[in-house]
This record gives sequence, C-alpha cells and structure tokens, in this order.
Amino acid sequence: MGIMNKSTQNKKVKCFFWLKRMFPVTLFIMIFVGVSYGQNSFTVSGTVTEQSTSNPLPGVNILVVGTTNGTATNTDGQYQVNANSPNDSLRFSYIGYQEKIVPINGRHNINVTLSPSTFSGQEVVVVGYSSQERQNISGSVDIVDVDNLTTGTSGDVSKQLQGRASGVNVISSGQPGEDPMVRIRGINTFGNNSPLYIVDGVPTQSINNLNPDDVESMQVLKDAAAASIYGSRASNGVIIITTKNGGNEGVKVEYKGYASYDVPKGGNVWNILSPQEMADLKWQAIRNSGGNPAPDPQYGSGSEPVLPDYILPAGAMEGDIDPSSYYVVPEYSDAQLVNTFHQIVRANKSGTNWYDQIFSPALSMNHELAVSGGGENGSFRVSFSHLDRQGTLDRTYNRRSSIRANTQFNVNDNIRIGENMTFTVQQSPQVNALSEGSPIGMAYRSQPIIPVYDIKGNFAGSAGPQLGQARNPVAMLYRRRNNSAKNSRLFGNAFAEVDFLDNFTFKTNLGGELSSGTNHSFTYPEYENAENNTVNSFNANSSYGYNWIVTNTLDYKEMLGKVHSVEILLGTEAYQNRGQVVGGSTNDFFSFNPYYTNLSTGSGNKTNYSYIYDQRLLSLFGRVDYSYDNKYIFSATLRRDGSSKFENYKWGMFPAGSFAWRISQENFMKNVKWISDLRIRVGYGIMGNQLNVDPNNPYTLFAGNPASSYYPRTGSNNSVQLGFEQSRIGNPDAKWEKNKSGNIGIDATLFQDKLNITAEYYWKDIQDLLYNPELIGTAGTASQPYINVGNMKNKGVDATISTNGTLGGAWQYNASVNFTSYNNKIARIANNIEYFNQDSRRFSGSYIIRNEVGHAVSSYYGYKIDGFFNSQSEIDNLNASSPNGLYQNDARVGVYRYADINGDGQITPDDRTFLGNPNPDFTYGINFGLNFKNFDFSTFIYGSQGNDIWNQVKWWTDFYADFAGAKSKAALYDSWTPNNHDASLPIQSTGGGFSVSTVPNSYFVEDGSYLRVKNVILGFTLPNNVLSKVGISRLRLYAQVSNLFTITGYSGLDPEIGGTSTDFGIDEGSYASSRQFLFGINLSL
Amino acid sequence: MSKLISTKKILFMVLAIGLTIYGCDTFLNAPARGSLSEDVLSNQKGVETLLNGAYGALDGQAIVSDRSGATAPSNWVYGSIAGGDAHKGESIGNTAGYVLIGNMQANPSISYLNAKWKALYEGVSRTNAVLKLLPKVNDMDDNTKSEVAAEARFLRGHYYFELKKMFNMVPWIDENTKDLNQPNDTDIWPKIEEDFKFAIDNLPATQSDKGRVNKWAAEAYLAKTYVFQKKWQPAKDLYDEIIMNGVTTQGVPYGLFDNFWDNFNPAKEDGSPEAVFSIEMVANDGTGTTANANLGIRVAFPYNGPFSCCGYYQPTQDLVNSYRTDSNGLPMPDNYDSTPVNNDMQVADDAQFDPYSGSLDPRLDWTVGRRGVPYLDWGPYPGTAWAREPNNFGPYGPKKNVYWHAQQDQYADLNSWAPGTAINYNVIRFADVLLMAAETEAQLGNLEAARNYVNRVRNRSADTTSWVRNDLNKAYAVDVVDNEQDMLNSNAQPGDWVVRTDRNSTFYLLKGDPGDINNWNEYEEPNYVMNTYPGPWSDKNTALKRIYFERKLELAMEGHRFFDLVRWGIAEETLNSFYDYEGPFLNISTRDGHFTPNQDEYYPIPQNQIDLSVVDGKPKLKQNPGYN
Repeated sequence: MGIMNKSTQNKKVKCFFWLKRMFPVTLFIMIFVGVSYGQNSFTVSGTVTEQSTSNPLPGVNILVVGTTNGTATNTDGQYQVNANSPNDSLRFSYIGYQEKIVPINGRHNINVTLSPSTFSGQEVVVVGYSSQERQNISGSVDIVDVDNLTTGTSGDVSKQLQGRASGVNVISSGQPGEDPMVRIRGINTFGNNSPLYIVDGVPTQSINNLNPDDVESMQVLKDAAAASIYGSRASNGVIIITTKNGGNEGVKVEYKGYASYDVPKGGNVWNILSPQEMADLKWQAIRNSGGNPAPDPQYGSGSEPVLPDYILPAGAMEGDIDPSSYYVVPEYSDAQLVNTFHQIVRANKSGTNWYDQIFSPALSMNHELAVSGGGENGSFRVSFSHLDRQGTLDRTYNRRSSIRANTQFNVNDNIRIGENMTFTVQQSPQVNALSEGSPIGMAYRSQPIIPVYDIKGNFAGSAGPQLGQARNPVAMLYRRRNNSAKNSRLFGNAFAEVDFLDNFTFKTNLGGELSSGTNHSFTYPEYENAENNTVNSFNANSSYGYNWIVTNTLDYKEMLGKVHSVEILLGTEAYQNRGQVVGGSTNDFFSFNPYYTNLSTGSGNKTNYSYIYDQRLLSLFGRVDYSYDNKYIFSATLRRDGSSKFENYKWGMFPAGSFAWRISQENFMKNVKWISDLRIRVGYGIMGNQLNVDPNNPYTLFAGNPASSYYPRTGSNNSVQLGFEQSRIGNPDAKWEKNKSGNIGIDATLFQDKLNITAEYYWKDIQDLLYNPELIGTAGTASQPYINVGNMKNKGVDATISTNGTLGGAWQYNASVNFTSYNNKIARIANNIEYFNQDSRRFSGSYIIRNEVGHAVSSYYGYKIDGFFNSQSEIDNLNASSPNGLYQNDARVGVYRYADINGDGQITPDDRTFLGNPNPDFTYGINFGLNFKNFDFSTFIYGSQGNDIWNQVKWWTDFYADFAGAKSKAALYDSWTPNNHDASLPIQSTGGGFSVSTVPNSYFVEDGSYLRVKNVILGFTLPNNVLSKVGISRLRLYAQVSNLFTITGYSGLDPEIGGTSTDFGIDEGSYASSRQFLFGINLSL
Repeated sequence: MSKLISTKKILFMVLAIGLTIYGCDTFLNAPARGSLSEDVLSNQKGVETLLNGAYGALDGQAIVSDRSGATAPSNWVYGSIAGGDAHKGESIGNTAGYVLIGNMQANPSISYLNAKWKALYEGVSRTNAVLKLLPKVNDMDDNTKSEVAAEARFLRGHYYFELKKMFNMVPWIDENTKDLNQPNDTDIWPKIEEDFKFAIDNLPATQSDKGRVNKWAAEAYLAKTYVFQKKWQPAKDLYDEIIMNGVTTQGVPYGLFDNFWDNFNPAKEDGSPEAVFSIEMVANDGTGTTANANLGIRVAFPYNGPFSCCGYYQPTQDLVNSYRTDSNGLPMPDNYDSTPVNNDMQVADDAQFDPYSGSLDPRLDWTVGRRGVPYLDWGPYPGTAWAREPNNFGPYGPKKNVYWHAQQDQYADLNSWAPGTAINYNVIRFADVLLMAAETEAQLGNLEAARNYVNRVRNRSADTTSWVRNDLNKAYAVDVVDNEQDMLNSNAQPGDWVVRTDRNSTFYLLKGDPGDINNWNEYEEPNYVMNTYPGPWSDKNTALKRIYFERKLELAMEGHRFFDLVRWGIAEETLNSFYDYEGPFLNISTRDGHFTPNQDEYYPIPQNQIDLSVVDGKPKLKQNPGYN
C-alpha cells in the first residue's frame, strides 16, 4: 500500500525495536539465572591411543558433552579436563578417526583408544537447533565428511558437495565463483530450489563467502522429520554448517596453502571447419538450393571458391589493397564516426581457433593461516584466507579474502557466550555462459577465416559481407578488463547459553549479515563487427543489505528412570531481511580512460534507479524427543511461521514426526555378532516455502515505467512525460507452499564396524505450490499474482555404503559409495493450465522446454526425427495419404522427416512429443582412500546417469541456413546428399525451415551421462621425529589432479549443464571444468 | 524431580516464549515499496497520469516480451508484409513466423500474434483503469472528467479497432466488466462506434498538448470505422465535415504537406497539417533505452550499411513495379507487372548497373531503397550489397522509417543494438482520409467527388519540387565536381560517390582505383512522369480500382495494405497472383504463399488465449474459421 495508516506504523516500529532489544535482555536474564545455578567441577585425565598401533595420539580434541569445556591431548597423547560433574560424558574427536563419547561415571582416569573413522553411532551432530547423537536421529540426515570437502579446490563449499552426500545433486561449471545448482532430493518448486544453509545458526541462501577450511561439520537434513523444525524455509532441504572453534590447549598455528594450474580443453573442440571447407560448404549449400554461388563477395567468381587474401575489403587479393587507406579510431566517441572507417583485414586462411583464443591455462593459489587455542575459560580460532582462483576463460576469476574470528568464553561452569564472525571481500567477474551472446557463444559463432586482429593490430570481426554477425570474443573479454564487481560480507552470530535447573539449557542467538556490493562497467564502442554497438556508456550500481535473526531456545533434557530419555526444545525466532540498491548509467564520454569514466563525467543521458526490499518472518517452534531404552526413538516437531509476504494467511503450521527402531538393541539380535547396529527409521512431515513470492504479491499496484507507460504527450521528439500503468494484480489470499514428505530408511553397521550401509526411500508431495500462471490476455499485462495452485511429486532412493580396514601391515583403506536418485513429476500447474513453456532460443516462438503435468520439470519437447525424405516419390506418397494432401510443411528431398506421433497422416503441432529431460536417473560418488605409513592416497569419482542434454550449439554450427557463422565438420561431411542417406544432418541448403532447424527437434538431444574422475590425491606426511626437532607438529605435502578424465558420449564441451529450476540442461556453449594440477602443503606448529 | 523444580521449569518456559512473541504480529506487516495503490491516484493529477499511461501503450513496446516488430503499431508485419508490400528480409533462419504471416500460413501458435493480442488488450486495460477510477475522483468538474473519459474511450476505440481488423471476433472488456474472461461471440463494431461517438461529443477541437487526440481525430476514426463496415452514407457525412473544417490538435486546418516526404520527417511534425492521429515517437529521451523511439520497426534498416541493424522489411518487386506509369503519368493497375522495373539481383556489387529508365511515379523513391537512387541523403542506394539475403528476399530496402544522415544525431537513437528513431507513426494521415473519402464517394456513385479527392493526393506528388533529386547526394559526397577529371582525381574509396553537376548525375565508385573511369557507375535521375487523372470518371468499378491502387501507392509500407485488401474483398485474387508473380524471383520467401478464402481474411485467435479461456474444460474463446 502506498500509505500506511499511522497507528499500524507506530506499533510496528515499537515491535521492531523490541525484537532487537530482546537479545541483551535475554542475555542478562540468562547470566543472572546461570550464576545462581552454577556447579562445581570434576577433573578427569588419561591417555588417548590409536587402536591398531597403540601409539599415542596427539592433538585429539576432548570436550565435555553439552559444554564448551574441553582440551586436547599433548604430544604423548595425554590430557586433563574439567567436567562439571562426575555424571558428564567426554567426547573424543580427532580428524580421520571415529569420535567416541565416554561417560565419566565418577572416574578420574579414563584411557581411550580411537580407530580410524568410518561410522560411529555416537557421533554428536548438530541438527535443528541442538545436537544429537547420531544413533538417536530418526530423521534423514546425511553427515558430510568435511575432510573430503577441502580436497576440492574450487574454493566453494557448495560446489565441493558434489557426490559427497547422498540425496544431494550439484551441477556446477568451470567458472570460478559461480554459484552451482544444488538440489536436495529432487525439485520442489517452480521457483527457487536452493537449499537453506544454516551457518552457525544463521540462515542464508549462499555460502560462497565461506572458506572450506573453516568448516567443522556439515549436515544435510533431507526429510521433513529432520528439516521441518526450520519450517518456513525447509522445503528445499537444509544444510547445517558449523564452523571451527579453537582447541582447548595452548596455541596452535596452522598454515594451508596450494598452487594449482588449470588446463582447458585443447584442439578443435567444436569441430569447426577450416576456412576452405567453410567456403566449400557454402557453395555446396547454395548449389543444393538450386542457386549459383558465384560471384561471391569473398570467394570470387570461379567455378570453385577461392579464399581471398583479405576479407575486408571483401574478397580482395594482395595488390588490390592500399594499406595507407586504412582508417580506424578504435576508441571513438562520436557514434557516427564508425561509418567513415576503412578497415583492412587479412584473411586467416589457416583458420582461427576462437576457443584457443579465449581459453588459456590458469594459475591459482590459496593460502590459509589459522591460529587457535583455548583453555578452561574459553577458546578462539582466528583464520585468514586468501583465494585467487583464475578461470581458464580469460579475465574470469574469483578473488576472495576472508578473516574469521570464532571465540567462546566460559563465563561460569554453566554459562557460555561466544561469537562466530567472518568478513569476506570478494571479486569475481563472470560471463553469462550457456548463451549465444557470451564470449563462449561468440567463439563458436565466429568464422575461422576472421583473424583476431586486423593489419594494424586493431580487432577484426564480422564486419564485411558474408562473415556472419558474431562479435569478436577476444575483443569482448578485452573490453571488460576495467570492469569491476566487488562484494563484501560480514556474516556471523553471537550467542549466549546457560545451563540451569540441572536439565535446562537456554540459548539466545543473534545472527545476521551485512553485505554490500559495488559494480561498474564500461561499454566500449565497437567497429569490427557486422552489428556494432557504437555508443560508449558507463553503468554503476551499489547495493547494501542486512538481515538479522534472533533465536531463543529453551532445551530440557532428562532421563526419567533408567530407560526413558526425554528432550523438549522450545524456541522462537524473528528474522528480517532489508536492503537497497542504487544504480545509474550514462554515456558519451570524452575520454575512455578508466580513471576518468564515472557516472558524473559522461556527457550523455544520465539515468538512475533504486529499490528497497524488506521481508520478515516470525516463528515459534518446538520439538519433543523421546527414546525408550535406546531402542525406540520418537521425535516430533512443530513449527508455526509467519511471513510478511502473505496478507490474509500469514501463518503456516509445519508438523513432523519420526520413529526409529534400533533392532540391534533387541535381545533377539544381541547375539548376532556381525551386526553392530541396525535401525529402521520412518518419518513424515510438512515443510514450507515462500521464497518464490514477490513481497508485493498481496497488493494491486500502479507504477510508472519510462519504457512502457511514459508517453511524449507534448509531441516532443526527445522527451517523454510520466504515465502510470497497473504494475501488479494483488492476491491477498496466497499462503505457504506445503511440502509433505515421507522417509523410510535403514541404517546398518556390520562386521565390527567394517561396513556401514544407509539406504532410504522417500516421497514428497508438494502442495499449494506458488505459481503465477499467465493471466488471460484481456486482463492486461500487469504482473500476475502468485497463487497456490501447483503440485509436484518426487520420489527416490538415497544410499551410502562405506567400509574401511587394513590390508595387513601398515596398509589401511577406506572406501565409500553414495547413490542419489530422484524421480520428479509435475502433478498440477494451475486451473486449465497443463503446461508452461520455456526457452525459445532461436526457435522464434517454439519452445524447447515444456513443463507439463505428468512429466519431469525441464523436459525437452519437439518433433521426433524419423529419418529423411529420401525421394520425391516418398513425399508424394505421404502427401497422397494425408488428409489435407500435405504430410509435412516444408517437405523436400533431403530434409528431416518427422514422426507422425498421433498417426493422423500429417505432421501438425500435435505430433510434438517429449524428447528427454536433463534430470538424471541417478548420480553417484565413489571415494577411495589408501594410507601406507606416511603416505596417503585418495581418489574421488563422480558420475551422473541418464541425464539428457539439449545441445543448442549444434543449431549454430551444424546447419548452413542458421546464421552465417562458423560451421562444423558434421555439416560438411555428415549431411544428407543424394549419395549419402545415412547421415545425421539434412541436406545443407540456404533455406532452413520447419523440416531442418527452425523448430525444436530430436537432433539436438543427446545423452549426457558421464563418469568423471574428479580427484586423485597423493600425500606425504613428514615423520614426527624429523619435525619435532624444528618445532613443527605436522607437515603434509600433497599433489592432486582434478578432473583427470571424463567418460561420456556427449559431443559437447562438458556434460555438466546447469540452468534454472524449470529450465536447465540446455548447452549453448558451456564454461567447462578444466583439468587441474595442484600442489599443496599443510603445516601445523 | 521435586515439585519445586517442576514449577520453575514450567515458569521459565512460559516466560521465554511469552516474552518473544508478545505483541509482535504487526512485525509481519511489510508495505509495498516503489508502487502506488489506487487510493493515491484518485485525484485529477493521478487520473491524468494514468491516462498518459494509456497513451503509453500506443507504441506497443516494452509491454510483451517478444519481438518488438510483433507489436509494432505500424503493423509492418501484419499489414505490409502480409499485404505484399514487402518481404520479411533479414535472414531466413530468423523470425520464421514473419515469413509464415507473409505467406498467409499463420497458425494459432505463432507467438507474435499472441504478443499483438496482449499488447492491444493491455492498451484496453489501461483505458479501462482510467474509466474505472474517474468516478472516484473528487477534485475534478464533470466537464474535465468527460474530456478525460473521452480521451480514454478514443484510445480504447483505437485498440479495439486494431483487434477487430486483426482478429475479427474478439471479446469486449470495458470498465464495468467484472469477469475478464469473456467470449468472443459478438461483433464489437457497435461498441467501437460508441466509443468514438462519445469521444466526438466530449473532446475539444484543439489540445494544448500536441500528442493528445482531438474531436476531429475521433471523427476521422469513426468515419474509418464506417468505411470498414461499408456504412457509406454516415461515412460521407463525416468526411464532408472533416475535410471542410477539420483541424489538428494544434489548430492547423487539415491538409496535405507540400512534400510527400515530410510525413516521415520528425523535423516537420510540428505544424503538420496531415497528422490526423499519430503515435508520437522520441529519440534520446534520457531513459537510456530506445523503448519510446519507434522501437517496433527498429530492425527495418538496410544491412551492411551505416545502420547498425538488421535488414528486415524489404519491399517486393511487385510493389516496385506498381509505380510504373504510362506515358500520361498515370498508374497501370491492370498491367503494371507486365514489365518489371529492373533490379540488381543478378549483378555483382562491383559490376555496372543501369537503373530503370521507364517512367515512374516519384513516390516510389520515397518508399523504396533501390540501387542507384539517392537514399535520402545517404548516397546512391547500393542495392543487394545492403540486403542480407537477396536471393531470399530481394534487393530492395525500406525507406519511410529511415532517418536522414543529417538528422542522425537528433532523430536516431543508438542506445540499443538497433537504431530507434523519432519518426512518428501516422495511424491516420490526411491523405488516407482523402482516399477513404474518395472510396466512400465512389461507392455512393459520386465519381467526380472521388476523382477530385484522388487528384488532390496525386497533385502533391506530381509537383516536381517534391521529387527525389540528384542534389540529395551532395551533402555527403566525397566530392561535387563539374567535370570528369576532377572526379578521377578524387580520393574516393569503393562505396564513395561523387556528384557531377555537369551531368546532373552521381558517380559511384564500385571498386579499386578512382582514376579508372570503368570503376565508376553513373546513376542518372530517375524518369518521373506523374499526373492527375484528367476528365471525368464514368465507371464506378474503374473508379474504385483506381482508388484502391492509389491507396497502394500512397500508403505503401505504412501497414495498411493487407487490411485494405480484405475489406475490399480482393485479397484472394490479389495476393495469390502476387505470390505467383513474386515467388519465382526468390529462393524462399513467398514461394509457399497461398491465400485461403474464408480463413485468411483474419488472423487466428492465439492458441494461448484460447487455452487460457478454458472454464470447466471448455474454452470461452472460439477460433476463427479455417484455423484449428
């Protein structure tokens, strides 16, 4: 609403301040309460040894469970720690080893052995708002092995998740800094499908600011039972991340660093023809169309095409050219000057490999320095990291510096306060890959006869007849050189926790982030292309945003009697996300010097814009866990969420429940020695979503838009007057999306912890999906409101199998395989709407993607090719038996014959059919590690099976009639001719049309299954006796090869093709992942 | 557990939860930002701004995300390409839907038709928003309210007129319609008439803002509505009054510009006697975009030349032939195609070409770019060199939408990959009024009145001062000389030209050395012969044929042709013979064209709209005959 009534406003302001004040108030209450209920301490000491070798383990973390009291073992494996009471438990953890939790039971001396990690039911993991022992989790939670995450080297935690957790699909590219597509258990909504990340209790949509080495633990909450305590935003799944804290003994300094060298693919990656072959193809195509190719402006007037010495002036030969007539001013400011240029461009007869011109090997590095430590009164960890990741595509990179300070203080035995804070500065200029207009797109579109530079060293391009209209991609990238995009982000939380009344813990957490970004870009005028941009302009914008979240939880935990374990958690949460963006542009600069260009110095039109956003959530939640004798485990959660995006139905209710039965605890199983642990879990619940709704959704609104609603009423030739249009149709009745999901799982630990198996089956039924169906045209074009109409279903299986052991002597191995599958189906879109189309690309009006009820999202749709029309009589016969005397539009000999899907004897739009989809049947990750004395070896393989790819690059390169760009070998050698009916492409001709490439057809669909060796690592840890002399406690050197090789039948650059939720898998020039060689060092003092 | 502790436990839980939630429901009220509610607009200023927004939909741009040409108000695709004035142009692989439309092969799924439908109904919807709001406004007197209502209803009449001529059966939505999903089962001509009548009754004769509509524009539009319905007598009554007394919004009595070309020249808009209802365009309006700069036709510039894009909208050979005149300077409606005006399709760019020397109507060269003729002040048109795929779409270029070299800094807007211009689109210009009046008179049997109107139009262009002259080439010539030697000594590059005052011709350097006379192509002034129709017309059918043909010549490339052919009932014969004639010249383009009667008179209702109108499994919108 434009104007709010005053009383509401006052009330709101009060409430707003109140929420912010709440944090110190509750902090005060807690300290007060906590002090009154303080307890005495109980000292425990002992030694930790390695199970198989009985060697002492130094650096093992020991924590009093439920507190931050802790320490670490010294070089002899000894420790001493203060617990609160003789009834506490100690948690022993060490990277690469199974965690152990040992009840003190009144003992002052406890010796422990640790075995290499595989699986431990006693592992304590952070789940919704609290920690739980793994064996007591009845929902579906995947615990990510964080050590493996840091072996990837993209610097991006979410990219490195690929293949590391079952139930998670990640599609990324080779572009540094680009957020990957992360999907947990399929596709849940037509809009934003990104999971919710909870970093130290603070929700966020992106974790690209996070340094992977700062991550202590990571859990993926996959089903409703686990995630719905995050109600409102849990629908897409939740990933909980806890960052590292200091140890409990002394000061430890760690350095980690690596340098890497990325090598892009080489060779003729798109199989582009040589210039002579291009000429041959052109003449052949014109002749095939019954035309006479000569005279040709470039290739002469002979009977066969002859490559010219110069392509500008067209077709000129040595001797025709007077180099003194050359005239180009590369950085011109008068837009019309370009018409006076006289450029001279020599033909590159051997052909320009445009891919090679823009992709080159890249050197990257990463440094991290962490100082941590602590003692009885608290702990700290401060880390600094700097990543400089260079992309193989020139002038793309990700530069990120971050500093993190995590501290925790034990004010008292039962009061803990602390904070986790990170500040990140990031710069990552990116290209919009997978599109015809990107530099990658231009690289396969630019004809090979065009050189990169003209005779005077200025850029050469498609200017000149018959050279297509691609832009010079080298020039595009060069002209971006002074553009800048900088972002900084302060992210973190402060918390206070108090234990009181024996069984209670109250925790208050204030978290949030402050982010700001600034971008500027300069657009240079062009002179070398067929279609030049002739104006110079400058754009700049800057954004500022913040969000805060206040969470208060009260946790009650008690054993009632010997067998009843009860935990009750109650909590409240308030969240606000606000920010604004301002920007502007201007043009016509006197000088293009980057020190001169800004929004003030352009002499042309100045435009500006700004907007503000503000969204809020308020929540109440609770959870009850009950377990009987560690055998029967029940858990129930309920969350009530309110969102400012809704008007009449602000509140949604999200319940969930789960049950686990530890069969192995039953008496009849106790004797089965080969089963260590066996559990069956079931869960069901509802999760919510409101990410996709525009905050203005409830309101009917009007606005002025210079482009669409202003009008030059005065009749002026250069100014417009303000006009309004209806900008939005409101829907005050929108409400929460509801993701109802169930999960059945089995966990088994077999053969003395040697083999772990987790397998789960899930189903999701997402109802009241918010969708903004197109309104009937008579309603006008104001933004249509989101309404709760859609319905989507997913089901699938996730599984993980892992094993470990020794191969005699010092050989140790571990291996794990995880498996992820989902089956997505759209069950309903809206009233009378059976499908919506997306992505027309160059098919003007026909769409590649059809999201239709009964099919998976992002399905490819079009005509199925059923061979060629091999003769006129074939066409005549088909026409004769067709009801209208015409079997197929545009039918002629040598073009595609489409399948008559509905059997009515003619090809109509009804014969279009589903041609595949990019959703994989399953994906898998295989991890294998081997240790021998001081050597470690590991390899990681990732694969995706059954995903189809729409290879739109072929539209450009394989059909002569589609734009006069570079063409492929297939076009010349694998196209239909009277002598070659066994071709994959139709006859090359000047006319494209329906039967060739103007409608989506099955030629473009390829199987994109692949298997990729993502990592091979060999490491060497220097022996302790050498290191201790120089005061180093640990030094590991390692070498790694990433993306060693990929096995795929896909003909494009890379089979990993992203996109948006309902429109992905269309390859129009991808930024492929490159092979990377890396050398690294980890050093601890 | 002691009782005491239990009580405390409960107490803390209640306290913590209670504190957090108390009184905070209003926290969730986040008002809309950056937009206005209807209440804020319910005053004179608000409603007038909303009205300006209703004008803002006239250009059809930035409303629907599809090809800008699909929603262009000039109907260059649906009127001119479909009517045989022009080919789509550009390249065959792109915007194939335009070719289908040009070949009368439109199908309901072509997205361009859906875009056009939506853009027009957006216009309707904006006018309805004004009319809906008006009763809620308190700070306006009834007179002012009626004027605003009249303007809104004029615009609504226009949007519906466009819908009517495109799609014939369309649903009527006005400010009182509650359910916006209405059937298309009623002829809306009476409703359109009502809107224009209301506009006539309530609009002033002149406006302080030139770009708004006036009473006379409403009369001309109502008359056009009558003509489309063949209501000849009411049309005549209006035309008599309009032609006698009509004035523009600025109070200039309706008349014809001295120069035909001035209609397409932004510098002449002010004080134009001919602009009855024009859609205003601007260039470099400060928005940094070309959205208000005649965006709808921005792709229709010759290719490879000084314009940054794109080579669409190439006039047909048939259109060019139409401008041949007989020895009396009169058109040849029956046999204009007997001999084609020669073109350069089979001539290399650097080979000699002699343009047509037969007699021609001078309007040809203000309508079509053809090789050797001054292309405004851009020099001699180079022909196929500026066509993207001449074998598919011919050698010619459009002209009425092109800006002058001398005006490019002012009236061309280069804030996009294709140029915008400040050239207005005249929905109705006075020449159009005169020719419709002539048609009306002829239908009523007043053949002399008809002839006079036609001659008034012809007379303007018969005046030699308005012809395309060699002098146009002077401004940007590499040299203006009076002898051959100076020309040979010039430092011209291929593509440059020299004006020869001694021969009243222009020499164009085809290639290589300017010192070699054989490298030059001489272009003489075309042979224009044009006169008015002498003597009385006696036969109604002949008169009508001449009037129809005059419309083709005068209004070519202005988006009217197809709709004229349909209302005259001669679309089938005209277009099918056009396809037969034009097809063999070209590889693609019109080869497959065929007009099917009782179907192709109207475009199909967009399938998407039919799908969206489904209620209880049945669509409310009914497809036009012949389409399925």
